[in-house]
Amino acid sequence: MKCRRSILVGMWMLAIASSAVAAEPAVDFRRDVRPILAQLCFTCHGPDEGTRETELRLDLAQSVFDESTGSELPAVSPGHPERSELWLRLTSEDESLRMPPPESGRSLSDEQLDQIRRWIEQGADYPSHWAFERPQPPVIPVVRRGDWPRGAIDHFVLANLERRDVEPSPEADRETLIRRLSLDLLGLPPTPDEVDRFVADDSPLAYENLVDRLFASPHFGERWGKHWLDLARYADSNGYLGDSLRPNAYLYRDWVLEAINADLPFDRFTIEQLAGDLLDRPTFDQRLATGFHRNAMKNTEAGADREEDRVNRTVNYVSTTGAVWLGLTVGCAECHTHKYDPISHHEFYRLYAFFNNTEEQDVTVPAGPAVAANDADPSEEVAKAEAAKIKAPAMTEGKKDRRTTFVHVRGSFRDPGDEVEAGTPSVLHPLRPRRESADRLDLAHWLVDPDNPLTHRVTVNHLWKHLFGHGLVPTADNFGITGEPPSHPELLDYLALELVRSGWSRKALLRQIVTSATYRQSSNLRSELRQRDPLNRWLARQSRYRLEAEVIRDSALAVGDLLNIRIGGPSIRPPLDPRVTQYSRNKDWPVSPGVEKYRRGLYVLFRRNTPYSMLVTFDAPDTSVACTQRERTHSPLQALVLLNDPVFHECAQHWGRGLARMGDCEPRVWITAAFRTGLARHPTKEELDRLVAFYQEQRTTLDGFSAADLQTLIGEPVAEGLELAEQAARVVVARGLINVNEFITRE
Amino acid sequence: MHLPSDRWQLARRQFFTQGLHGAGTVALAGLLARESRSAEAPSGLSAGDLNALAGGVSPLAPRAPHFAPKAKNLIYIYLEGGPSQMDLFDPKPKLNELDGQPLPASLWEKMQFAFLQKETATLMGTPRRFAKHGECGMEISELLPHLSECVDDIALIRSMTSDQFNHVPGQLLMNCGSAIAGRPSVGSWLSYGLGSESDNLPAFIAMVTVGRGVPGGSASWSSGFLPSVYSGVLFGGGDDPVQNLNNPRGITPDIQRSSIAAINDLNRLKMQQVGDPELASRISAYELAFRMQSTAPELVDLSDESQATLDLYGVDRQEPPIKSNLGGTGLFGPFAKNCLLARRMIERGVRVVNVIHASWDHHSNIDSQLPHNCLMADQPIAALLKDLKQRGLLDETLVVWGSEFGRTPLGENRAGSAKVTGRDHHPNSFSMWMAGGGVKGGQVIGKSDEIGWNVAEDPVHVHDLHATMLHLFGLDHTRLTYRFQGRDFRLTDVHGRVVPQLVS
Repeated sequence: MKCRRSILVGMWMLAIASSAVAAEPAVDFRRDVRPILAQLCFTCHGPDEGTRETELRLDLAQSVFDESTGSELPAVSPGHPERSELWLRLTSEDESLRMPPPESGRSLSDEQLDQIRRWIEQGADYPSHWAFERPQPPVIPVVRRGDWPRGAIDHFVLANLERRDVEPSPEADRETLIRRLSLDLLGLPPTPDEVDRFVADDSPLAYENLVDRLFASPHFGERWGKHWLDLARYADSNGYLGDSLRPNAYLYRDWVLEAINADLPFDRFTIEQLAGDLLDRPTFDQRLATGFHRNAMKNTEAGADREEDRVNRTVNYVSTTGAVWLGLTVGCAECHTHKYDPISHHEFYRLYAFFNNTEEQDVTVPAGPAVAANDADPSEEVAKAEAAKIKAPAMTEGKKDRRTTFVHVRGSFRDPGDEVEAGTPSVLHPLRPRRESADRLDLAHWLVDPDNPLTHRVTVNHLWKHLFGHGLVPTADNFGITGEPPSHPELLDYLALELVRSGWSRKALLRQIVTSATYRQSSNLRSELRQRDPLNRWLARQSRYRLEAEVIRDSALAVGDLLNIRIGGPSIRPPLDPRVTQYSRNKDWPVSPGVEKYRRGLYVLFRRNTPYSMLVTFDAPDTSVACTQRERTHSPLQALVLLNDPVFHECAQHWGRGLARMGDCEPRVWITAAFRTGLARHPTKEELDRLVAFYQEQRTTLDGFSAADLQTLIGEPVAEGLELAEQAARVVVARGLINVNEFITRE
Repeated sequence: MHLPSDRWQLARRQFFTQGLHGAGTVALAGLLARESRSAEAPSGLSAGDLNALAGGVSPLAPRAPHFAPKAKNLIYIYLEGGPSQMDLFDPKPKLNELDGQPLPASLWEKMQFAFLQKETATLMGTPRRFAKHGECGMEISELLPHLSECVDDIALIRSMTSDQFNHVPGQLLMNCGSAIAGRPSVGSWLSYGLGSESDNLPAFIAMVTVGRGVPGGSASWSSGFLPSVYSGVLFGGGDDPVQNLNNPRGITPDIQRSSIAAINDLNRLKMQQVGDPELASRISAYELAFRMQSTAPELVDLSDESQATLDLYGVDRQEPPIKSNLGGTGLFGPFAKNCLLARRMIERGVRVVNVIHASWDHHSNIDSQLPHNCLMADQPIAALLKDLKQRGLLDETLVVWGSEFGRTPLGENRAGSAKVTGRDHHPNSFSMWMAGGGVKGGQVIGKSDEIGWNVAEDPVHVHDLHATMLHLFGLDHTRLTYRFQGRDFRLTDVHGRVVPQLVS
């Protein structure tokens, strides 16, 4: 029946198309077919020689179409399922012939079978994986609605939307735009004054001027530096039993902040972190940059096997490098050849060989302005460093007793296999070593080689995801075969090439993105988009999502007027419930003195075994491996933090007392002011009414409180000339605003 | 909650492709695991994406397992450090005979020890007497008289084996299935796979009786790469059992209630404006937080327990004097209370309770300190089993007792130590036990060799233990997966085999 219908339709279609199969929707090999093969066939017919069952490899075009693979028929005869061994095996009635073997428990759905049949019928196009091919400069697409785009980015996005007959969203209002930009670029909410100035600015360049001002702020480095520190699995302790502190790890953190602020080109940024020590006469900063891999966890437990731990760390260096720069799950090849991507077990250990003689070697902080990450007062930091002879974590290349690298059979270093030399995966562009044997510096150059099809794409994807909530490749950690393909492949390639063209300037790229019409759209979820694109892959709107843990802390401190904006320096310890540290072996948590404890979240000491609980509750990464995408959960424990955590309550009290200093005024006046401070916009009438009702209800309750209880609620000091109950009510309203979802949401 | 039909449809389609039937709700994070096995579906959905897809359904909504479960709740008693199996669970008369003898080099030459100097170490027998107990005649040490009364409910595994001989890697392997940090704990996997049965308490609670401190810190109950909602919530004693549970000073329950009402109303107004279903998640999180504030204090308030129950657990016992103890002193009451709280939590629908005590790491002074720890732990643990059974809860509550490894049959002759008074870490062969949750009691699984050096019969690797635990909960350990960094991870990695004797 089905067959007959397709013939009929096909005959009808002959009038307008050249082929009968055009009646059926076109199959995209990369989107529709390769994932099926990868999931169900590659284990035995894929890159892993350890589990490969026959010579047939379905991951290689030459093998798929090879007419001499032992069987009479090639695996695939383009256009002819009935002459394709693959098709015959997939559909065989004979259990001894059928693939996948029934005992494997795997099978294809009818829909999957249909896709394979159609793919073969339609000519069995077998393009290589997009991410392993160099991007080609894309043609900027023409769009119908020519007045919308502000730049090339918008052409790509709009052309895609027009194909789907979807309108982009209108531009967000200015209040939303300045809050979005401030949170995205600085991680801090704008003040009501800043909002007013931007809203009133009638210059045609008002938006661009705001963007310029934000890029010039030293807080930019804090915000975007922290994004990098997630990838760098930065923490202030070793992890494992002792979980000893790394008191000087902050020097690497500050190097990152400064490099981001100075817009250190990403290729230099890469080279210095992976191989700064191997540069010609490296500066202190270049050696400090190699602290990147010092962030790996380290087991110093008495009696621990030192070699095992060194191997674990070295594996972590390889996996991290692969995840951060290549967007590949290189770590999957530690124990066996990668099941899906063309990275063999041997190739993993060729990468491993680059790091196998890397050794930890601290460098002494020199006298002079080298550690001037602290714009507020560099001289103070340097003076301290000089006085204490501070040692910064760094890496060096071991010279004596150099290790030979062997494949670790099944990932066990106690079971060495073949000897291997340092090298890179053969599926990618060639490594060009400076000398006979390649070293880490060659690897770093190879990563930022313009021929590398991954590094620039992966990097722009990382940048993009912080401005839209998800990357153009949503699987930011996986550009391999099983990753999700890019939603806008040409745009990704355009941006990747732009990054290189601009001299690897991240600021230039970010500027291009945030000034686009795409970025400026409203994030409201239109009903037709909720149905057709709930994940906002098409970018017909901006994204609305929960802020990161650190930004939530910073926002509360900022609106509470407690934030200490000093940049850089040793990590701090805000108040913490002693129960959090008490179950561990290191229980001490001396709270930082004075205003130190009010510094931004990225400076909170991160002790791996007993991390600062507020950060963990809001999904800060555990720093065991590179974090390419933070989770964004909602939980009751988060509600308890915002409602009851002493730090947040102190912010509410301080904020409420500030509101009390506005004196005796109409509730609508101070509530509007509070709302504007907290959410950077004016309340709607309904919102204001609800808050006024809340205030009135609270005021009545609080009028029945004793002075002492009110005093407790308000905290010290108390504003003069306003009833205590009124002051307390303002604290309670401020506390409520910190808990409104929008407060912790970027819109 | 009303789910718009289109979003529901999307979630539902993926949900049912895997043949799992939710109780009218869809597991948004569970989708991710199931999704990752579906060849045509892309992965890479973040928790936020899933929220968007599922329209604000809680990630802790209850979910049906892969097949009919025997267990619904887990109480996992974790005695950190490596309790000595040949002094507690695994009688070795031959070891006593060979006391003071060296061990053939063939047994130790390839092994590593934390402190023991293997070339000169000698076998150390146990002064502990073992006797047969119960109808099954299981042999248990005199150090565990109360537990000996429960042997007919216990399946004792004398053939446990691990790969890790240091505490933190061993703990990570035992509690999270991998010696590498960053993986979800067993309780997190269960919460993720099955959701929560409680409307006002967390799905997964950890209680630590603080002795020496847990070397791996929070990793044992952390959610690793799973979303943080699946993390164990640390409960302490006192009137403020959960961090931030109590209102700040001056904020009365009235103010709190009215504040949450206003906050959620503002969130609803916003939801109307922006149409974001994630706001529904946030609203329900505040509602749950408020309920937790009133439920948790009631949970930890033991005043409604009878004196007989308190006595059964030994909440008010006197601790005998001891000069010093690695596992801490002053903990008889707190440990007993935590065991009783575990039962109260299970009664209230908490899915997983970890009861943790550190330390049992007896490198020295084992003759005085092991009995002291046993005095602390034996009665409350046995009481928990008896109490659960008496209340009809044991059938559906799996109780697991264990640690990261056992201890060496060799005495520990650490360099610089004058006397040999303890044992070193020993992952080759050690003992654990399970009870309830569909496990057949009164049986001993596996055997160690005559001196307890290696497993002689029916080895049970840590991965096998995990596969079996998940199986008892109706979960196929090969199918409970989560995609992270491009790979489908599972608790058992690429290993694990269900132990048939434990599940039949």
